[in-house]
Amino acid sequence: MTSTSTTTLSTPRLVIYACGAAFVVLLASIPAFAGSYLTSFVLALMISFVLAQSWDWVNGQMGYLNLGHFAFYGIGAYAFAILLTRGVQIVPCFAAAIFFASLAALLVSLPLFRLKGDYFAFATLAIVPLCELLANNFEGLTKGSEGITLPPDYVLVPAYILAALLVALTLATTLWLMRSRFGYALRAIRNDEQVAEVAGVRLFPYKAATLMLSAAFAGLAGSIQAWQFSYIAPNTMFNLGVALVPIAGALLGGSGLLLGPLFGMVLFSSLEQALLVKMSHLREAVLGVVIILIGRFLPGGLLRAKWISRHDLLSWLSRESHFEIGGHRHATAGERLPLVHREVDTDRIVLECQGATMAFGGNVAVNNVSLKIRQGEIVGLVGPNGSGKTTLFNLISGIYRPRSGRILIEGRDIADFRADEITRLGIGRSYQIPRPFAELTVRENIAIGRTFGASKTKLLESMRTADIFANFVGLGGLLEQKAELLSLQQKKALELARALAAEPKLLLVDEVASGLSTVEIAAFVKHIRDIRDQYGITIIWVEHIFSALSQVVDRLIVLDSGAVIADAPLAEAMRDERVLTTYLGHAAGEAK
Amino acid sequence: MSLLKVSDLEVSHGPLQALWGVSLSVEAGEKVGLLGANGAGKSTTLGAIIGHYPAKSGRIELDGSDASRLDVSQRVTRGLGLVPEGRRLFVEMSVRENLEMGAYLSAPRKKLAQSLEHVFNLFPILKEKQRQAAGTLSGGQQQMVAIGRALMSCPRLLLLDEPFIGVAPLIIKDVMTALTQIAAGGITIVLVEQNIHRALEFVDRAYVIENGRTVLDGTRDQLLNDKSFGSKLLGLD
Amino acid sequence: MPLDIFVQILLNGILLGGIYALVAFGLSLVYGVAHILNIAHGTLLAISGVIASLIYLVTSWHPVLIIPLIVFPVFAFGYLFHAALLRPLASRGKHDETIGTVLITTGALIAMSDITGFAAGTQQRNIPVRSEMLEFGDIILPMAQIWILAGIVGLTIALHFYLKYAWFGRAVRAVTQDPFGATICGVNGPRARALTFAAGSGLVAVAGVLYALIYPVDPYMGFSLTVRAFTIIVVGGIGNLAGAMIAGLMLGVAEAFTAFLWSPKWAPAISVILLLIILVVFPRGLASWQKT
Repeated sequence: MTSTSTTTLSTPRLVIYACGAAFVVLLASIPAFAGSYLTSFVLALMISFVLAQSWDWVNGQMGYLNLGHFAFYGIGAYAFAILLTRGVQIVPCFAAAIFFASLAALLVSLPLFRLKGDYFAFATLAIVPLCELLANNFEGLTKGSEGITLPPDYVLVPAYILAALLVALTLATTLWLMRSRFGYALRAIRNDEQVAEVAGVRLFPYKAATLMLSAAFAGLAGSIQAWQFSYIAPNTMFNLGVALVPIAGALLGGSGLLLGPLFGMVLFSSLEQALLVKMSHLREAVLGVVIILIGRFLPGGLLRAKWISRHDLLSWLSRESHFEIGGHRHATAGERLPLVHREVDTDRIVLECQGATMAFGGNVAVNNVSLKIRQGEIVGLVGPNGSGKTTLFNLISGIYRPRSGRILIEGRDIADFRADEITRLGIGRSYQIPRPFAELTVRENIAIGRTFGASKTKLLESMRTADIFANFVGLGGLLEQKAELLSLQQKKALELARALAAEPKLLLVDEVASGLSTVEIAAFVKHIRDIRDQYGITIIWVEHIFSALSQVVDRLIVLDSGAVIADAPLAEAMRDERVLTTYLGHAAGEAK
Repeated sequence: MSLLKVSDLEVSHGPLQALWGVSLSVEAGEKVGLLGANGAGKSTTLGAIIGHYPAKSGRIELDGSDASRLDVSQRVTRGLGLVPEGRRLFVEMSVRENLEMGAYLSAPRKKLAQSLEHVFNLFPILKEKQRQAAGTLSGGQQQMVAIGRALMSCPRLLLLDEPFIGVAPLIIKDVMTALTQIAAGGITIVLVEQNIHRALEFVDRAYVIENGRTVLDGTRDQLLNDKSFGSKLLGLD
Repeated sequence: MPLDIFVQILLNGILLGGIYALVAFGLSLVYGVAHILNIAHGTLLAISGVIASLIYLVTSWHPVLIIPLIVFPVFAFGYLFHAALLRPLASRGKHDETIGTVLITTGALIAMSDITGFAAGTQQRNIPVRSEMLEFGDIILPMAQIWILAGIVGLTIALHFYLKYAWFGRAVRAVTQDPFGATICGVNGPRARALTFAAGSGLVAVAGVLYALIYPVDPYMGFSLTVRAFTIIVVGGIGNLAGAMIAGLMLGVAEAFTAFLWSPKWAPAISVILLLIILVVFPRGLASWQKT
């Protein structure tokens, strides 16, 4: 780590700051020279932007499509209005708006985050009508459909200033999310939730906190709007047609991009305003058609359109934000990995399975498997396709729970442990079909493994040392490459690096060598040996390529139809008649 | 004229190219193996032959005429049948409904009763369990349903993708016997199989696919005598 | 509660629940086959109901004649809507596809409601058929309700048998359970998806006419029905007609009694609250609920 290395976002900082400063100055000066019509339009636009951007933290960063976001806006508005009309001071009223909106988010996140994908989206859509119903029915509190009239003070300018501050805070929060550990947890969840959990991200707190954060901003936005409107009613605060406008705006601009929601919302609000002026009927129909067209023709949003991403001056708008390290630090070949050396005590048992059984429907995938893995061993796990090797790995890493039997890690039964806890106990793994976080770079993938795994290294430090791990597996030149663009073998190498970076005690390697050349296999075998010899990490290696296994494993466990049919030192297992007939076959034997 | 002829087939999954040049030909009545390491491209080859993956370049011919532009149902009509990896049964439908779905297209629909009887003769256990939901069967029985379903379309060429995965060792023999009977009945077979021993015992000749290319082919003896066979098979080159 | 009132409320609940179930059938089939959660689904009911009411107002034809007049155009509309707007999304990644369908179906909801409101007015309408009364002691039932009930039952049974025994019905189930498996049997996936979307739309149009015979409809009321239908398929299981029917009846009866015993204004809350409770009680989500 040289002192010259700096961390930057890929979007040129100067441009962002210059534009940001100009933008803020322009924004702040509007009430001074513009009339109340323009001022209130810009105020409404700023409120919509805050809604769009805070919604996009959940969608663009975390990958959850929340269609009920507008409800938090309404809840904030109602909390504010109810308290204000009862004579409460203005500041506690705003605080209450934030509090109740986040509280509502916490309450709904318990049931809603049981769902994923389409189901989540659909269930969240029920929130807005539910809130409208509650606002209509709790007449004592909300005055029902009659609505609440606020004290008739002229608050346009203070509301405007407050909204402008909120806009600045929203942009700052977005920037923070794009480069913080918290934000990387969300992007890991978006890319592959199960892999994120196995990498050590505890899912629910992150998901709930993100929803609460976005709700807090929406609630405050709602309260500012209510303050300025001075009248709110259920059918305006929880109107479905209006509810989707910020979402459509964010998607129009480009979800997940720093300036996407801002651009989209400005365009969409301008269109809305133009329609308001030009048309007396069918305004909503036109907006509906516009929303349809966005859905049909703009999958990534306007800022990701080709004519922008390929334009010399505009392309920075469509660039995704990725962590890059400035300066010229390159890990040297053979540099020691920043892992602590574990003293190997070969009498200690790292992993024990006692009669572990797992079935899917009529298929018993893992059948009464008992085995012990000692510290410092390299164990080969072999068997034909479908013999239960990967299922066994899934049981050990906590993706499945055994139907019966127990699994102990260093003597602790993991029955009640979540996958992320098991990872922090020191279990690392790769996947047979590689599952890197596709939209993140090699560096980011490795750093996520490191910062959320057993090593618990800080994000910045993890990003800085990622190159050593990348070099180790031969990806040194591809640090800023997106994982989805890697070849199959490179993805497998990346998974090994990600698992290793987490500082595991026991590494589960699932088929890394297939498709490698003889030279590459020899190099890989050396890695496996180094991992054990230099860092004291115990390894279970699932592999079909026998010549690779035979160079390095101490012991072979053979599975067939979910059951252990041999568990013996390599040479002995190779002579076992059952092993030869059920798995290897003559040809493979000869190939060896 | 070959029943199936594949020349210089290339296929991509999104940004990743899976096949880089697969060429093979299968004559009527043959049993042909497709061997290679995991991830070499065997399943993709079968998927492209049946028309599930579009060919990026190259040609697929059936009975000498180009079939590259046909969709799956047209290729099934022309006599292809696939027993896919992972079986892909309709798990909540009964065994019988699964089999009948195999005769969905108009030509096989007319021979439904006959085909059903043929399948029940091959796999008597399926007749017993015909009312049971397919998802509740054991792995071996599910595999029988998958093979039976493919037979219901009266194929001339049956493509089998690792039909022994998740099948108990004792049942593997039964399935193997059934496949031999199917072949004896005049149906041409292309078999993707991991267990080389088992595969070479069954097929007349085989192709080896390595990193998305066909790199070797020959009869059982030719392959076993080829020095590079082992390393190509395991993708060691 | 006197028996006659109890029976009357129960019957109302069953009728309402039966219509909810019809709405849910369409949503469920379309989701199962095409993975499209059609947010505008209930809005199609509302618009079909409004148009049927207008036709009745002008012509006074028997509702049985009005049904085909509505259903066939809605079927065709559904087919075209799918082909032009939804089918092209299938080539996108999963999350982008979800976003696309949500935007398109929501945009359609907003546009269809607004256009209908503009053309036909925003007021509530219904089909005010005259009906004889049947008397069983204290219990008085309008004949029309009996016929509607019979229509719902008949439609459900027909649909069930179609899915169970017809070739295309089976293909629809096959695509729901394993699209690739269905493809290699020769099922044309895109065509099955488009036809199912059209059929789901046609079904909800029938429900719309039946609904307007009992309750008032307006162009904006559709979304609350979509929410109810979603609750029903979560409870009853995707593609499971019997489950959807039972869940629909339960919901309808619960709403009817809530409206009577407590207050009509709380009845619509039941579906959402039920949905949230189920999600909490069955923490592993829908899969475990459906399998147990």
